[in-house]
Amino acid sequence: MNPDPITNPLGPALRDFFISADASGHKRAYLQISEALQNPLPRVNDWRQVEYAFTRLFVGPKSLEAPPFASVYLETEPLVMGPTTMMVRSVYEMMGLVSPWKNALPEDHVSLELDAALVMENAAQQGGSAELDELRQFFVCRHMAAWIPAFVKRVSQAESAHPAIVRAAKLAGQWVDDQAVLINAQRNQHLKQGGWNG
Amino acid sequence: MDKRDAESVKQAIGCPMSRRKFLRCLAAAGALAAMPGGLLRSFDAKAGKIIYEGDYEIYRNACPRNCYDTCSIKSYVKDGVLQFIEGAKESTFTDGGLCVKGYAYTRRPYSPDRIKYPMIQDGRGSGNWRRISWDEAMDMIAKKLVEINDKDDSMLGLGLTKYSGNFGITNYAVEGMMTSLGYTTRLVGTPCWPAGIDAQNYDLGDMWCNDPEDMVNSRYIILWGANPAWNSVHTMKYIYAAQDRGAKVVCIDPVFTQTAAKADVYWQVDTSMDGALALGMARHILDKGLFDKAWVEENSVGFNEFADYLRNEITVQWASEKSGIPQQQIVEVAEEFAAAKPATIWIGYGLQRHVNGGATVRSIDALAAMTGNVGKTGGGARYGHMRTWGFNYHALLQKRPEGAKGFLGGKGPKGDFDFSGDEEAEYTDRALNINKTAEMLLTADDPPIRVLWISCKNVLSQDFDRPRMLEAFKKPELIVSVEQFFTQTVELSDIVLPVTTLFEESTINASYWHYWLSVNEQGIKPMYEAKSNTEIAAALSARMNKLKPGSCTFPTEVDTRQWMIKEFNQDIYDLFGIDSWQDLKKGPAKAKMHPASWHDLEFGTPSKKYEFRSDLCAQHGHQALPKFKAARKPYDKLRLLTPHTKFGIHSQFINIDWMEEFNKKPYCYLHPTAASERGITDGDQVRVFNKVGEVELEVKLTQNVPADVVMMYEAWFRNNAYNCQNVVDDTSSDMGKYKTGAPGVAIHDQFADVEKV
Repeated sequence: MNPDPITNPLGPALRDFFISADASGHKRAYLQISEALQNPLPRVNDWRQVEYAFTRLFVGPKSLEAPPFASVYLETEPLVMGPTTMMVRSVYEMMGLVSPWKNALPEDHVSLELDAALVMENAAQQGGSAELDELRQFFVCRHMAAWIPAFVKRVSQAESAHPAIVRAAKLAGQWVDDQAVLINAQRNQHLKQGGWNG
Repeated sequence: MDKRDAESVKQAIGCPMSRRKFLRCLAAAGALAAMPGGLLRSFDAKAGKIIYEGDYEIYRNACPRNCYDTCSIKSYVKDGVLQFIEGAKESTFTDGGLCVKGYAYTRRPYSPDRIKYPMIQDGRGSGNWRRISWDEAMDMIAKKLVEINDKDDSMLGLGLTKYSGNFGITNYAVEGMMTSLGYTTRLVGTPCWPAGIDAQNYDLGDMWCNDPEDMVNSRYIILWGANPAWNSVHTMKYIYAAQDRGAKVVCIDPVFTQTAAKADVYWQVDTSMDGALALGMARHILDKGLFDKAWVEENSVGFNEFADYLRNEITVQWASEKSGIPQQQIVEVAEEFAAAKPATIWIGYGLQRHVNGGATVRSIDALAAMTGNVGKTGGGARYGHMRTWGFNYHALLQKRPEGAKGFLGGKGPKGDFDFSGDEEAEYTDRALNINKTAEMLLTADDPPIRVLWISCKNVLSQDFDRPRMLEAFKKPELIVSVEQFFTQTVELSDIVLPVTTLFEESTINASYWHYWLSVNEQGIKPMYEAKSNTEIAAALSARMNKLKPGSCTFPTEVDTRQWMIKEFNQDIYDLFGIDSWQDLKKGPAKAKMHPASWHDLEFGTPSKKYEFRSDLCAQHGHQALPKFKAARKPYDKLRLLTPHTKFGIHSQFINIDWMEEFNKKPYCYLHPTAASERGITDGDQVRVFNKVGEVELEVKLTQNVPADVVMMYEAWFRNNAYNCQNVVDDTSSDMGKYKTGAPGVAIHDQFADVEKV
């Protein structure tokens, strides 16, 4: 059974983990992830090593081992700010939202997408609408579900894979899967009830 | 990823949500408000307008790379995102086109591999990088600078190495930042073209080439050690046009290049024997009386002495033996060249990267001058020019902090692009030879280089004697690199600062070849946390002054667009026939200059004439006449050539995905004869080695290179440790010190052997 989306802090913690700037941020988010799970995550002794691995995977300055951008996994050429980033931007804008780092950080960064999925989940809990349902179906079940597994795989197989980061990535993959199941279940329920009235 | 999933997302990308749906969703915005602690924000007016359809915003840019063509660019931006670029049609030189590297420019700001944030490496070369804020980075650097100033009572422990990675004029803010900190140590000189610059200065009084668009008027073109088919694609159209009008094109190069393939005559000259060849041609022209008697009498000094030298010491047979070109061919081309009016020679930079490089350029200049081709449209000994670079250099010319102390006794130029003027002060910066950077870093003392600042330069890929450089990079206490990508230089830095691409900064660019001027407008916001060199200087100044008031004079707040505007003056406006810099927003402008350099025959030499005999040259320790100078003695079995690749500008662009598509990895090139002598076959993994070091890579056999040559291109690959500087030493070329502050380097006077691994 899926955890309660409003009160369960796993999604926000995963979001925060992948956008943390330093070891203290990684640690804070990791502990939040751990708290959100029934079985706590293994203890990390050296957060500095997590930070080094994190930068090699997602930040730089060297060629990224696992770029955290959807574009890299969905497009034929490895570039950001192209069709995928713009599509994701348009999804945010449809929700009346914008990235605080517009045109500085690509909108298809994993943490921004997790945040959008959380916003959608929150809105659905508050009543939702047919448009939101459609948007959520597309964004989470088709878009995120299409690239996050490839991202998780790349993190897992990367040279600099650190167990804590691999664990977080796998949890993010699982979280998206769970969301997709939830969304489809809610959608079926609404269809059974005769659709949206709004 | 499941193929079907990818396909469905692809479809969705192709058909984004309709505007109608967007509006309906917006109506539900109340329910969709961002959650506490979330990242996304409610869309408001501050976030800017949403652009779904409509026209692009168009900006003007100019390629700031170290390239002849300095293309004028138009960039197309939508919703703050660079979509594509094209060559500006307003420039007849660029004529709406770019090169393959230029078209790939959109890949630079948006590569996921771009350096995004200031980062610090815990342990130089360890690969243990951490992201830090700009404040933290500036604080660390500023504290170190204050510390070394206190320790040494000067800033001479701060060294700068910067060269041609970004020629945008406002990037002189890097040098300006150094000046604003006090008297510092500068790696001066140029690895590029210094011997030739000095040679042209001795002969003509300046380096000044005809407008390349004027090459169409040439009746005879010698492309001497130049490969414009790769390195100046736009100039090729003028060469073709001249060919169509009947001009003969001769290409002289040790390597059969793509340019050679387009020429009417190709001479595979023995490397570094170009001077002998030019003198042999000159002797034959002299013997046949085909020189321009009136021109040399009226416009030159020392011709008779030169003629005596030719008669006494040079023969066509000797030139043939030295150069490997048959006598009959030398005679034929010499006669044709002398008879054709006008005739021109394009002198490439490679042929002066030798211990006899300056002397060679002087010999070739002499050939153009004695045939009366100097000062004429369609003529000229073309090398380069800086006649359109009369900017204010506002970014460069900063004040020293009060009471700053420096180096006593240093004088002279600080490089080919130095515009600081003569300095009449008690102290100066300390100048060290950029072409011997490894040695300089290892030996500079009192104080040593404690902090090394690197900008617009990939030292570990481009500077010589890399094994020694690796040692040298262990010495400074702090190394700061300013970069767009993770190079081998960043790899050995302590702090890396992300710098803007040309689309993210405002600047202005001129060419050292053609006569066009282009403004470079900022069309997009800097990605991630990149800053321009000007902004970096301001940020450092702010932190310096916070730590120690008055320690840095650089303004702490800058508007890069305003700084771009500050580079203009009335002389520039007059030269380019514009009323204001804003006119350049409509397109690039061309200097209102005569297409022929030295058209008024008023030379810049001490005698005001063309100097076959240059006393100044002799005073500087060289030969007064453009005499033959011996080549470097081989120190190994094969000559090693490391010219430019087609897919990059020095170490830039090769990491870009579109380039990688065609140029995945480095190769070395060997003649089948040399290969068979060594039991090497095509595709073998080989080791190229010499007294300097070694490189291991795959070999390609080709008859395009001479049998006594091994060739590999200079390059930096993203995921490959290849580095040709492992086998290139830092032996100086003959000239360069006069005008660029340090002699050049004999890049192509290198030798090596090859063996199968």
